[in-house]
Amino acid sequence: MNAAAEPLFAATGLGKLFGGVVALDKLDLQVFPNQILGLIGPNGSGKTTFFNVATGIYPASEGRVRFDGADITNFSPQAVYRSGISRTFQHSRLSLSLSIFDNIMIGNHMHLNQGLWFNLVTRKAFRRQFEENFEQARTLVKVFDPPLADLMFEAVEGFPMIDRRRIEICRALISRPKLLLLDEPSAGMTQEETSELMGDILEVKERLRDLTIIIIEHQMDVIERITDSCVVLNFGQKICEGTYQEVARDPLVQQAYLGIE
Amino acid sequence: MDGLGEQRIRLGYAQAERHVRPGTDPGRPGTGPAARWSTASSVEFRTRKAHSMDVGLFVQYVMNGLMLGVMYALVAVGFTLFFGVMNIINFSHGDVVMVGAFVGLATYLGVSSIGVENPWGQLAAAMIVAASAMALMGAAVAKYLVLPLKNAPPLNTLLITLMLGTALHEAVRLFYPRGANPQRFPSLLPTDAYSFGNFTLRIDSVILLGTGLLAIVGIHLLINRTKLGLAMRAVAQDEDTAKTMGIDFDRIVLITFAIGSALAAFTGILHGLYYSEVNFAMGLLLGVIGFSSAIVGGLGNIYGAIIGGFLFAALQTLGVVAMPFASAYKDVFAFGVIILIMAWRPTGLISEKISERV
Amino acid sequence: MSARGRLAPLLPGIVVAVGVTTYVIVLLGVESQTGIAALLAAGAGAVLAAARFGVAARMGRAFGKRDNFLNLLVVLAIVVLTVYFYEDHFVLLMVATVIIYVIACLGLNLQFGYSGVLNFAGAAFFGVGCYTAAVLTKNTDVPHLVILVAGGLMAATVGSVLLLPVLRTRGHYSAVVTIAFGLLFKIFLEVNDTLGGPQGLRVDGMNVLGWEFNDNIEIGENFEASFYVNYVVVGLILLVLAFALVRRIERSWIGLNLDAVRLDETAASCFGINIMRWKITAFILGNFLIGLAGALYAMMLGFIAPTNFTFGDSLILVSIVLLGGIGNPWGLAVATTILIIVPEKLQAIQEYRFLLFAVMVILILLFRPEGLLPRPLRAYFPGWRPK
Repeated sequence: MNAAAEPLFAATGLGKLFGGVVALDKLDLQVFPNQILGLIGPNGSGKTTFFNVATGIYPASEGRVRFDGADITNFSPQAVYRSGISRTFQHSRLSLSLSIFDNIMIGNHMHLNQGLWFNLVTRKAFRRQFEENFEQARTLVKVFDPPLADLMFEAVEGFPMIDRRRIEICRALISRPKLLLLDEPSAGMTQEETSELMGDILEVKERLRDLTIIIIEHQMDVIERITDSCVVLNFGQKICEGTYQEVARDPLVQQAYLGIE
Repeated sequence: MDGLGEQRIRLGYAQAERHVRPGTDPGRPGTGPAARWSTASSVEFRTRKAHSMDVGLFVQYVMNGLMLGVMYALVAVGFTLFFGVMNIINFSHGDVVMVGAFVGLATYLGVSSIGVENPWGQLAAAMIVAASAMALMGAAVAKYLVLPLKNAPPLNTLLITLMLGTALHEAVRLFYPRGANPQRFPSLLPTDAYSFGNFTLRIDSVILLGTGLLAIVGIHLLINRTKLGLAMRAVAQDEDTAKTMGIDFDRIVLITFAIGSALAAFTGILHGLYYSEVNFAMGLLLGVIGFSSAIVGGLGNIYGAIIGGFLFAALQTLGVVAMPFASAYKDVFAFGVIILIMAWRPTGLISEKISERV
Repeated sequence: MSARGRLAPLLPGIVVAVGVTTYVIVLLGVESQTGIAALLAAGAGAVLAAARFGVAARMGRAFGKRDNFLNLLVVLAIVVLTVYFYEDHFVLLMVATVIIYVIACLGLNLQFGYSGVLNFAGAAFFGVGCYTAAVLTKNTDVPHLVILVAGGLMAATVGSVLLLPVLRTRGHYSAVVTIAFGLLFKIFLEVNDTLGGPQGLRVDGMNVLGWEFNDNIEIGENFEASFYVNYVVVGLILLVLAFALVRRIERSWIGLNLDAVRLDETAASCFGINIMRWKITAFILGNFLIGLAGALYAMMLGFIAPTNFTFGDSLILVSIVLLGGIGNPWGLAVATTILIIVPEKLQAIQEYRFLLFAVMVILILLFRPEGLLPRPLRAYFPGWRPK
């Protein structure tokens, strides 16, 4: 990786205060194109808060965020999405009463024609767009789990956690984002399921060829397997950065996780 | 609602606009500032200049505004308790105030018919029976209507409590003897009054005001200085953690609802004593006012609720003063300002409890 | 496929439609209270039995694929009803009222069934439509069909003025604002003499291109149909249009956006959905339908008064949407029919209807929150199968 290359995404001095609580503390974080960056740290260290601030859900208290050559600090979540950043959520925010297809299409909002006339009057054109998008969605789901692709019009609430995670990732990927933020995708899954999911993510990255990922994880073997580099947070601060091997050996990191003096 | 019921509600609203008991002032048979506010008799007083206000009148307005504020604050605090403990809007609260007042009235009628003559005794009986009955009802509502809907969308709880409120006021209208008409509420407090120029200070008003304020202080102390209050606050903050700390979530919810409903009964009786009447529809407007006051102050925040309540009362009073010929618009005016405040500060003047985890 | 082959799967639907229409005709015609009570009990029993034996579910699925056919059946049923009761003012007034309420509830459904915007002032916005019609018919020469549209537009405008301030905020804010509006609307009308005060206002009957709606229809010497037939026809046309509109919306990306906004605003924002834009769209469109219905209602009744537009009436509209099944337009039609016709026929419960509806909604919310006809999954093109 060329060290002089422009980072795709860069947070500089990012800070977030909730009342008196410092959730993020002058955080500097960079991701380079096509990289997979792992974001790790003990519970409450600010990882999800970082995602929430980066995607505009919470306004930053200080600092800046640059993405793909533009300053996106304090953009609305809608604007962040349109600039090419997509995400999944720690608590799997899918619309359970809607179908798989519906959920994925929510993620494709910017590529769908939202005009009243198009949707209500020109039904032939709408049908074409609908059929095209159905194919796209189905193909994407097939990568993760072929049987699921035959159940596109079933309600999500009938599916187990691993399928829901897959659907959620499909929802984030359908719009062909440049940057994908994954928040603990393997939560609630067995070792095997996790391993399978990670394999699928790597496969998708191969296919899409222009995808950068930041992944929050607690399972260290996942981090070890798929990330190119890691950032460790503790109390909202970056305490270490490097490859997984480097980071795992760092005494500060060990102290943060295990409380070893 | 049948036509007769409609007539009565209209009268009820007109009555409510008179912030002094009708026709009981010695030597001041309804010509005071309060009478100006009644829609029914507005014609005669249009000739009065709007600006001729002396200190006495001003103090009267302030006094009435304070009394309204205390009542709205009490209702708003009730809403806050329910929202605080379960993040839900309990829209039956206003109607529980009304039912509490009716239970108090019925108790008074009951004990006075069996020979209890002492007004303090009657008042005590009314208070105790109403508060206990409402507390029980509140706990039952929590157990059978609210807790079962814990995992449903919050809209459902709002709807179910709204419908409960409707059922309550319809039940009173249909099944209480002549329930569609306003009922006279007895004057159980001493009726001495002292005149200072244009202003009449009634002892019972002072007592009501004082008791209302005491109740608010009491709730504040309960929430902040007792172990129960601590448990309530813990549950409000983070249900899961509170449970792991050994707090029985369901029990706390039941207790909160019981306390809130008892407070409602107390407020209802206060309302009855102040206006000398109760009617089946009084809970509706009170509920909406209390709810908006709680929101404007910042839902989940007791101080916000109190401030909101007094703010609403102040706005209503301002509305009456500014437009003495169109006092019915005072509610429209007050709500209008409240809506604008909500638009300006969506999380409330103090701030709403942030309940959502992303 | 032969004609018979194509007809066969439609047969159960036709049988049911005929059966239900006959039942409704009988119910509407019977006068005796015990007769009505018996009929209602029998009807409820039949429905419960159908649900128990899975018949209802199978029919639901069959209809789901061919809902244009279902719609045609319903329109035919209403036509048959109208023809059968052509002289009966009372029955036709009820039919027209049901049709008008369904239009209004379709609007309400757009608001809180699809996009989750609470509206507890349905009756007040309906009243805005009514009073618009009253004022315009009395004081202007605006063509009456345009007045219908004007009623809708006024309701939409008032609604947006009311709602814009609180759209940025949580759901319960719109609840409070609409409850306050619902409560104060009636008071405002009563105090305001320019709009007739508590006595109300008279409204001219509809008159389209010279055809006076308030005159009985006379053909030849022997045939005279109730003038309410006119209103049923106009109502039916508007209903078909409103129904088509609402269904199209649901079966499009717009419907998807509305659902996303209702189900999870945060996630929807993160995928580019402009929450405010869609809430406003749904609310305005919904209010337009409500006001439109109100304008027609006013012209039909000939007279409106503030007592028609209480908070309790708004809650009845909400109860209809909940009973029918949030988000399901057919459920809505069924629920409206039940909740309007039953109290009218069973005079004994008229007085108690607010109480009964409130209890009914409480039971629904506790035991069957999805309503009578739960909303099916979105089928963008019913019957469409992937290749």
